[in-house]
Amino acid sequence: MRPEKHQPHDEAILECVGIERRFGGVVAVTGVDLAINPGEIFGLVGPNGSGKTTITNAISGFYPPNKGVVRIAGKDVTGVAPHKVAKLGVARTFQNLALFNGMSVLDNVLLGRHIHMHPGVLPTALYWWMARREEIANRMIVEEVIEFLQLESVRNELVDGLPIGLKKRVELARALVSEPRMLILDEPMAGMNQEEKGYMARFILDARAERGISVLLIEHHMDVIVGICDRMLALNYGEMIAGGIPREVVKDPRVIEAYIGGAHG
Amino acid sequence: MFYRLSGVYHTNYISDSRIYKVPADRNLALALLVLGVAAPFIAPSLYVNSYMLPWLIWTSAALGLNLVTGWAGQLHLGYAAVMAVGAYSAIHAARFGVPWEFALIIGGLSASVIGSLFAFAALRAKGLYLALTTLAMQFIMDWVLTHSPAISGGSHASLQAPTLKLLGQEITSDTGLYYVALAWCLLVTIFMLNLKRTGLGRALVAVREKDYAAAILGVHSFYYKIVAFAMSSFIGGVSGALLVATFFFLAAPEQFSVAVSIQALAMVIVGGLGSIIGSYFGVALILLVPGLVNGVVVTASEQLGMQINVETLAHIPNAVYGALIVIILLIEPLGLGKLYGNIRDYLMVWPFDQLRK
Repeated sequence: MRPEKHQPHDEAILECVGIERRFGGVVAVTGVDLAINPGEIFGLVGPNGSGKTTITNAISGFYPPNKGVVRIAGKDVTGVAPHKVAKLGVARTFQNLALFNGMSVLDNVLLGRHIHMHPGVLPTALYWWMARREEIANRMIVEEVIEFLQLESVRNELVDGLPIGLKKRVELARALVSEPRMLILDEPMAGMNQEEKGYMARFILDARAERGISVLLIEHHMDVIVGICDRMLALNYGEMIAGGIPREVVKDPRVIEAYIGGAHG
Repeated sequence: MFYRLSGVYHTNYISDSRIYKVPADRNLALALLVLGVAAPFIAPSLYVNSYMLPWLIWTSAALGLNLVTGWAGQLHLGYAAVMAVGAYSAIHAARFGVPWEFALIIGGLSASVIGSLFAFAALRAKGLYLALTTLAMQFIMDWVLTHSPAISGGSHASLQAPTLKLLGQEITSDTGLYYVALAWCLLVTIFMLNLKRTGLGRALVAVREKDYAAAILGVHSFYYKIVAFAMSSFIGGVSGALLVATFFFLAAPEQFSVAVSIQALAMVIVGGLGSIIGSYFGVALILLVPGLVNGVVVTASEQLGMQINVETLAHIPNAVYGALIVIILLIEPLGLGKLYGNIRDYLMVWPFDQLRK
């Protein structure tokens, strides 16, 4: 069974067509197509080194694809610099946490509002007249997300010392406050226990329900993928091996083989 | 000492985004400000003008360097060169007949332009490579100053600064000069305090900590690094100009040599990267401690009736102050600012923290 080819259509919020990315002689991903509809939670799975993170890096502009096209809401963003992709409404979290140490949780989350603010030298010098109103207005939006993710109690603490579950939540908060249309979560539940995983899954579902965000979710926890994703795509060695409804994809012999090996033997 | 956080509630975001959230901190800052303003009337003018004035101006300069090194995380080994650009352009402008107010701004702007133009090229390198590139800027500036009589008057010459004149007033009195320095230092300090609570400051720290994570939030690292260099060079340029206008009264190339750059960096590192109060402490240590140690050694040797030859006497302060820097950085790698912060945090809850033990 060939994975279902997603035809380019106008309503897709994120669309990748024939993505290929090489690092020297290593082909990290090749011929990957995916399309995510508005309000959809889309799972991307695959064993380590199968190219999941390379795809997110191709989308967010860190490693522009060598071949293929990335479109966000119909706009071609192939090879556009990361800070410009952010302005188009794409937010992401990182596999191994990328919080800003030495800053409080609040400041970290406030940075998520960067694209909606107008920071500059003059507003800083004339804070009371030029910056305060904007800072307070954005603070209120940030506080809503802090409440949503239940981070009130650690608001003023430095992120350096937080446990990993909270750090992941702060990173999600930082991504959410930028009011993205497309949220890319790179293993948000890595290293979490069952309870924390449950919380995180609920936050993702709530974010979709309340904000209408589309989510590209990379995860190794198949229970989560089956539980909350509308559709999914499985990769192995940088190629698509199966796509569609999660409950069916996880039963696909090729997916089982890729993950635990020897399903046909 | 006092449970100073007790009863402090912020009920809206405006009050929660104040510079000093704790009243005790605000009162301390106000008390220090009053002391700073009253200094010419309570301290001998020799102390005010030969210690406090350079301390204030160097603090402004150190804060500028702290902006680029502490906030934006870019090691800068050519800060004295930037100060020299500011000083020489301001003095030439003033000698040309430009009012001093504008001459100072011209000094700041030309330093800013040269500093950021240079950064535009240098920022293609990162970390230690950038540090070396900024060092190159220092050497280029040294060479330009000593080899172009049009700017500096020649390698061993010095350039007389015209009398400082602000808002139509000639400033010649010791008190007046001190107040100019105090005002500039206050302006820079307020700017830096605001930087701690605005999007610009957050963006700079983001660039310092993780530029890829900053990029994904829409922060253009290169742009903010350039902005950091431009701002820091402006502050450095004006500070350099004021240093000459209120303290040295004439500009010479060796006032802005590579040794001065290293000294400025030492001030920032000993004080604490990213710490405002730390810059005050760091400058005090680097600038004032050698003289202080010298005084102590001389008095002690007289009291004990020891004969110390001049050469030893000259080296003792340097050794002591070198040792002090090492000791401070061993105790607290984040510098004097962090050390102060630790003491403050401890006193904040003392004696109530004893109850738990």
